[in-house]
Amino acid sequence: MSSVPVERAPAPPGEVRERAERGESPLGRLTGSPLVRLIVRRVLVAIPLLLAISVLVFVLLEAMPGDPARNQAGMDATEEEVEAVRKSMGLDRPAHERYLSWLFGALTGDLGRSSVSGLPVSQLLAERMPVTFELVFLAFVISLGIALPVAMLAARKPGGVFDRIVMVGSMTLLAVPNYVLALLLVIVFAVTLRMLPSIGFTPIEVGLWPNLQSVILPTLALAIPLGCFYARFLRGDLVEQMNSADYVDTARAKGLGPWRILWQHAFRNSSFGLLTIVGLNVGALVGGTVIIEQIFAMPGLGQLMLQGVGARDTAVVQICVFIFAAVAVFANLFVDVMYAVLDPRIRYGGR
Amino acid sequence: MAVADTTTRALLSPTIGVERSIRWARIRKRLVIGVPAAIVVLLFAACFVGPYVLPLPAPIGGDVLNSSRPPGTPGHPLGTDVNGNDVLSRLLHGGQASLIVAVAVNAIGLIVGGLIGALSAYLGGKADTIIMRALDVLIAFPSLVLTIAIAQVLGPSLPNTILALSAFSIPGVARVARSSTLRVTSMPFVQAAALGGSPWWRTLLFHIAPNVLPQLLNFAMLGMGIVIVTEGALSFLGLGIPAPAPSWGNMIYEGQQSLSATPLLVLWPSLALLLAVLSFNLLGENVRDEMSGR
Repeated sequence: MSSVPVERAPAPPGEVRERAERGESPLGRLTGSPLVRLIVRRVLVAIPLLLAISVLVFVLLEAMPGDPARNQAGMDATEEEVEAVRKSMGLDRPAHERYLSWLFGALTGDLGRSSVSGLPVSQLLAERMPVTFELVFLAFVISLGIALPVAMLAARKPGGVFDRIVMVGSMTLLAVPNYVLALLLVIVFAVTLRMLPSIGFTPIEVGLWPNLQSVILPTLALAIPLGCFYARFLRGDLVEQMNSADYVDTARAKGLGPWRILWQHAFRNSSFGLLTIVGLNVGALVGGTVIIEQIFAMPGLGQLMLQGVGARDTAVVQICVFIFAAVAVFANLFVDVMYAVLDPRIRYGGR
Repeated sequence: MAVADTTTRALLSPTIGVERSIRWARIRKRLVIGVPAAIVVLLFAACFVGPYVLPLPAPIGGDVLNSSRPPGTPGHPLGTDVNGNDVLSRLLHGGQASLIVAVAVNAIGLIVGGLIGALSAYLGGKADTIIMRALDVLIAFPSLVLTIAIAQVLGPSLPNTILALSAFSIPGVARVARSSTLRVTSMPFVQAAALGGSPWWRTLLFHIAPNVLPQLLNFAMLGMGIVIVTEGALSFLGLGIPAPAPSWGNMIYEGQQSLSATPLLVLWPSLALLLAVLSFNLLGENVRDEMSGR
């Protein structure tokens, strides 16, 4: 960790960057563990952001056309019956009161009940979240697993044959939306080759292999465009480091081999930029699961949200949208903290 | 290091080769912008002029008895879909919808986002902080989830699709506009204008905006592909352009229903989408490289 000069680290986001540029510790003159203070500070910023998001979701749901009480009461219910249902659902109270009671409930672990299935929302989440989590986690691992070696090989000889293939190939794949890629994968692997199931999800309790078989195609549909994006970014950053950074010249002068310079020196510095890109894309990744789960009929969070949106199931949609946004917020927070962990200048303050 | 490398190589190799490679580099520079630009122009021409020039049947109201004809059927160059509508006609009309949405969303994003960002940077202080925090909320939202929620509130239609998609194009543009306005504001000519008695709105519109615009236009160009893809996703989920009117997204969705029997119905709109997104992306990236002098 100590032998690598980091003067060319790409700019960290937000507050950390500004402070680092001024040569200050991100925590000013406060002593103690800077890292812990940083984490606390960032979490304190994230809380009002999450509250604002939950208000926004609530307002959006309020604005949705249709009457949840009438939906619940059924088509041929009388006016009185609808009113009774409205009362029992608490919809006769003013909006801000309902928001506050939802917030209070959510903070104490009571997320209400789905108006469609009547099940507690927390139970639905417990069923659905592992599916989406598995998808996101595998897509994340596979996309980085593709991007790192490919970018390294391409950056080794910029303008070489492999580099050109990678640049053209990734540009093309990036232009394929994940829903189209998903259908192409289904046509090839499920319809033509009959190797994998085209839709559905097998829980891991049934067995690891059937479970993996059912998630391979959706995972690839998510991971391939993402991997191309990361590979392009990393390759560009690596080439820039190799061409312009002084420490690369130093390493060359020391007689280090090209692979070692690439891996131990250039990549260490490029990893900051990659980290930012990965963090910023977590939102897009979890957002992408909505449509992928729909195509592959995966019983995940995205599918739950879409069903809820269709049926005006406010309790369900509120928490689903909130979770998606919260994941994105925390991913960015995590990136900010990782900067401090990786960059000694930020960790210890001063240069 | 790199410079020394190329110079040595240039000195060692015969001059003719160098001249040729310089000329080739120049041609290449024009090609990488010219070719995608030409494809974009062709796409617009095909979708907006094509349906009125070519002898094609209407994109909707086809005869079900005439359904799922293979490509090359007389009168139907790409065949017909499950409802008996001409695929090529639907493809071109669908392209109209996709391109209208993409252009409109980026225009709205550019104008509204540009104004918000420039204003935020120019005003500075409290106003700047409040505006940027509000944008943070929108940026933190996974864009597809936000668009789905808005599209559901507004109901599926072409103008509503544009509005829903604008919600996620505005914050990004505003960010870029803010940072480049900050950069321009610190330049001497802006101070000169202010010293010359130009009111703040005049400085913003006539001195700052022209210098920020090229960067924003380029950002919007890169945004075209994203909007086309997201519009496709919305239509695919039934929240965008309402059927039976065609759009590339809902054509892919309809094709998916009979994926194993007629995979070609998914392939055509997918290829159109790919071509459009690819050429917009290439154009945007190469113009950006050209502008930054790479």
